Parts: sequence; structure tokens; C-alpha cells
Amino acid sequence: MPPPNTPEGGVTAPTSPPASPTPSQPTSPLTRSEIAELSLPKSSILELDYQSIEYIGPVDETLLCPICRTPFHSPITTPCGHTFCAGCINRALELQSVCPIDRQPINKTRDYCRLPLIVKDQLDRLKVKCPNKGCDHECLREHLEGHYGRRCEFTPVRCPESSCTKYIARRDAKAENGCLHQEFTCRFCEKVLTWEECDDHYDYSCNGATARCEECGKQVMRHRLGKHLSQDCPEAEARCKWHAAGCKVADKRRVVQEHEHSGCTFEVISRLIDQRAEDREMINDLTGRLARLEAASSRRRRPRERREPHNESSLINGSPLNLLSTEATGASNLTRNDDMSPSSGFADDDGAWASPEDYMLAQFERIEGQLEGIRKKMMEMDAHQSLGLLQTTARVNEQLAELGSKVGVLNMHTTWLMNMQRQSHTQQRTASTSTGPPSAGISHAGDTSTTRAVSSETGVRYQAGSRRSSSDGRGEHPPRL
Amino acid sequence: MSTQFAAKRLSKELSKISSSLPPGIELVSADNFEEWLLDIRVLDNNPLYQNQTYRLKFRFGSSYPIEPPEVVFVKLPDRPIPMHPHIYSNGIICLDLLGQQGWSPVQNVESVCMSLQSMLTGNSKNERPPGDEEFVRGNRLRPKDIEFYYHDNDV
Ligand SMILES: [Zn+2]
Ligand SMILES: [Zn+2]
Ligand SMILES: [Zn+2]
Ligand SMILES: [Zn+2]
Ligand SMILES: [Zn+2]
Ligand SMILES: [Zn+2]
Ligand SMILES: [Zn+2]
Repeated sequence: MPPPNTPEGGVTAPTSPPASPTPSQPTSPLTRSEIAELSLPKSSILELDYQSIEYIGPVDETLLCPICRTPFHSPITTPCGHTFCAGCINRALELQSVCPIDRQPINKTRDYCRLPLIVKDQLDRLKVKCPNKGCDHECLREHLEGHYGRRCEFTPVRCPESSCTKYIARRDAKAENGCLHQEFTCRFCEKVLTWEECDDHYDYSCNGATARCEECGKQVMRHRLGKHLSQDCPEAEARCKWHAAGCKVADKRRVVQEHEHSGCTFEVISRLIDQRAEDREMINDLTGRLARLEAASSRRRRPRERREPHNESSLINGSPLNLLSTEATGASNLTRNDDMSPSSGFADDDGAWASPEDYMLAQFERIEGQLEGIRKKMMEMDAHQSLGLLQTTARVNEQLAELGSKVGVLNMHTTWLMNMQRQSHTQQRTASTSTGPPSAGISHAGDTSTTRAVSSETGVRYQAGSRRSSSDGRGEHPPRL
Repeated sequence: MSTQFAAKRLSKELSKISSSLPPGIELVSADNFEEWLLDIRVLDNNPLYQNQTYRLKFRFGSSYPIEPPEVVFVKLPDRPIPMHPHIYSNGIICLDLLGQQGWSPVQNVESVCMSLQSMLTGNSKNERPPGDEEFVRGNRLRPKDIEFYYHDNDV
């Protein structure tokens, strides 16, 4: 999306240039690498507020923190067995050092226990919406930090202007834009606003220079007409949301939207693609980390091997210690220099691991777990798809059955007609041989025995047909079509 | 933690309250996250409170629910102050649940209303707290700044 103040197609020359310094106006949308470049160090991002996350679908009552009433965020369990968000319980304990539920005394932080992993898992799997205004990304909660912290264009980051302490959406935080918090006057309605609010203002609240949309007749901001046509107008040509996944549907937007709402088959595929991309990213990330760790640990192991002989010798013969010491200090100085940096980096990363081998094993285990997760998700997708297939085939089956029953009915009708014909033939023949009344014809006045035989025959035929048509009670008379 | 904490928690409570409340409790107004009004009634046949509705005013500070809300009965032409040995005639309630010591952040507006309901239900004394007149005449303090002596724990 272009920066907020980018005028779009259909702009008539502004009546007066904006008074405040105009930020440069690149028109091309941001590419991925540009976004990546923009991701500043973590501290410059407004921290993700778990309380304002919107959850999709109902959340189990047991996963709600009793203090903030939202699903737990970094939960901890007190010795009395109650669970709260770490932030919530810490705040509560500042006032009173007792459990808010049963008033058992709690020794802050020392008494906390970790939560069973299964609960963490449940929390990770909650579906959430990205809390950033303007972003409609949905994902599992465990992936939200990643989206919010690294990818979302709308995450509030520190204003690029060092003197400004405000935050601004990541896509607008560019050095060449300068500070977008300065005020200017809207050239259409003369309202005073900041550059940051500009987008919102033009889209929703400005009632300045409007234009009529040729397609739908709606009044829109003149310079937003292009955006209206390409994104909102119900009458303009549009493509299916999932065209990237292969959907060929293209029509007036309202038709396409109907198509999207009534369930586009390519939605599943598109989700699959997204999922794969996310998984691949995760795998890349992990592989990168693994490689770095491998490098670090191998560098770490080498010096240790070199140092061991010194230690041994100094332990075994205590007397030559002095003799060796000069050599040893020299060597250890050397080794320490190239050994200190990776090992300290390693300790910073994860101090809790006894040895790099353990850490590597844990990493492998994690990757394995993640792969397992991916496999499971693929299987889920598969099941989803076959269910869809089953549903469509069921419909076709139904139609087939209906056709079958119609054929049965037709069959019966033909039989009945043929019987009629046969009957009239016989009657004609008997009439001609016995010289009876010549016009017995198809009338039902014929002798009763023949009629009975006919009706019993149709009855049998009918039953054969009714097995498919499943209608009943009409065996005596051939049904009408 | 963010200053919005109280507002967010209250908006959660509000969405729950507006869809369902226990019998005898009714939301009158909640136009902001600072002050809410609720009506409560006593459901059994306690002759002291029969056919009466009482108006409660909740005021929330920015540290709610870590700190208790300020809860008082409000006097209106059709909303008297209920007679109770822990309720002053100016509507101030002496309930340890609402004090700094007795409050717990897991309490909420609904649970407070229910506690007050049952506090009235269980009462049979048609009287005000001792020293009510003096207290009402002299009191210029906000309820939360008053050091109550909680007479007993079963209220
Ligand atoms: Zn507890
Ligand atoms: Zn919480
Ligand atoms: Zn987002
Ligand atoms: Zn700024
Ligand atoms: Zn305007
Ligand atoms: Zn239009
Ligand atoms: Zn489609």
C-alpha cells in the first residue's frame, strides 16, 4: 500500500500545497525485502499487548486469567495451584502477598511453578487476529509474535525522527518520510490532522472534494476514486481473493464477493500455500540457528581439547606446575581469546544447557516436533479435502438416484401401455373370432380375468421400479408422469 | 502494565453483563469505564427489603481490578438506601470485600452485586451502623479512604 499521503489517480491539482514539509511520495508498494529492512530492533516496536488481541471462536473458560479475563499470557501457577498471567499476578501481589483466589500467602516469584505444557499448547493453538489496526491477518497465537514483531506492516514502531517519541505503523516509518506526526491542514476540508491520520481521514471522515463513482454512483473522495474502484466498488471488475491460488473467477465485485463468501474451492489451497510458506520460514530460521550453534560449539570444542592435556599434566605431577605454568598461561591466553566470544555468546543464548551437545539435541527434538506438527496439519488438510469431495459426490449420488427412480417410473408406464396394447389386440382377435361387438377397444369393459392378470403384472413391475423410486401406495394404477 | 488495563477488563465484564446477569441484578448504565450504575433487588421474602429496588454506583480507578472499585448505594425518589447494620444512611457500605484487605482482583462487578444481595438477604436487623448520624454528618471522605472496622467476618 502506498504511504498515507499518496494521492491516487484522479487527483485534480491540489488547490494549495500542504503547508508542512511534504514527505517524499514513493508510489510503488513495499517489497518484502524492503519490509524486512524496515524491521528495526525489537526495542523499537510497541510491545504486543496480549489483552487487546481478538480471539476467533470461543475460548475455553479454563484458559482465561481470573484477573484480566483474557486467555493467559506467559502464565504461571502458584503453589496453591492457581494460574494467572505473570503480569497480572505480579501486579496483584504488589498490593497483597496472597493468592487472589484462596488468600494463601505467596512468596513472589520464588514460589511460582511452570504450567503444564499441554496448557501452553492449548494457548498456542488459539486462533487470533492481528491486533494492529488495518491488518486482517489471522493465525495461531504462537505465530502472532512473529507476525507482529517481524512481518506485519502495521506494527507500531518508533518514529524515525529521533526527537519524536511517538509510534507509527511500520510501513510508514521510513527515514525519507520523516516524522508523520506533524500536523497539517487537510486541503479538502481544512481539518487539522497528522500525516499518520491522513489515510484514515481521507478514507472515512473527510467530506471535502468528492466525486461520483461512474460504476456504482457513490460519492467518494476525488483522489480516492482509484482506490475505491480497485478495492471497494461493488460494481467494478474484480478478481477472486484467491486468484493467486488459481481461482479464475472474475466479475463485478459484488458477484465475486458472493462467490468468496459461498466458499471458494481455492481458499483451502491458498491456506495450504500460506501454511507452507510459514512452515518453510520457520524451518529456515531453525536451520540458520542450528548452523550458527554448530559453528559455535565446534569452535568451542576445539580449544577445550587443546587445553585438556595441560590440565591433566598439571594435576598428575604437581611439581612441574611451575615449570609448565608460563607455557600454560601463554597458551590459555591464546585459546581464551578465540574461545571466549563464541562461548559467551552461547551462554547468552541459552544459559540453561549443560553442554552444547544437549542443546543441539534439544534443538533437533524441537525441529522434529515441528515437522511432526507440519505433517499433522497436512493430514488435516487432506481430510478436509476428502470431506469436501465426499460432499460433492453425495450430491451427485442423490441426483443419480432421482434419475433412476424416474427411469423406473417411465419403465412402468411403458409396460402399462404395452399391456394395454396387448389387451386390445387380444380383444380384437377374440372379437373377430367370436364375432362379438367389434368396438371393445381400449375400454375397460373387457372381461375381468384379463384385467386382473394385467393389474397383477403391473403390480410386480411397479414393485421392481419402486425399489428405486421409494414411493409407494400407488401399485394399482400406473403413476402419471 | 498499560494504563488501559482497567478499561479492557471492564469491557470484557460489560459484554458479559449485557448478555446475562443473575436474577435481581440489572445494569442501569455503563457509558464509560469510570462509573456504572446497577439496580439490585432482594429475591426472598425478607420483610425489610420486600418490593424494593436499590441503586448501586460503582466507580473504577485506573488500577481496577487490582484495587477494589468504590461501591455505594445511591438515594433516589424510588431508590432508598437499604436498612442494614453495615450500610450508612448516606449509602456508604462497610463490607470487607470492598476494602483493600478483603478485595481480590478475581472479584468483579457481578460478584460484588451478588455479595451485596446476599448480605441483605441474610440480615434481620432493622438498624443502621452505630454512630450513623454522626458519621453521615461529619464524613467528607471518599469511601475508600475510610478505615472501617469490620465488625464481623460473616457479612
Ligand atoms: Zn490460590
Ligand atoms: Zn491475566
Ligand atoms: Zn498484522
Ligand atoms: Zn513522529
Ligand atoms: Zn479532509
Ligand atoms: Zn463505485
Ligand atoms: Zn474463487
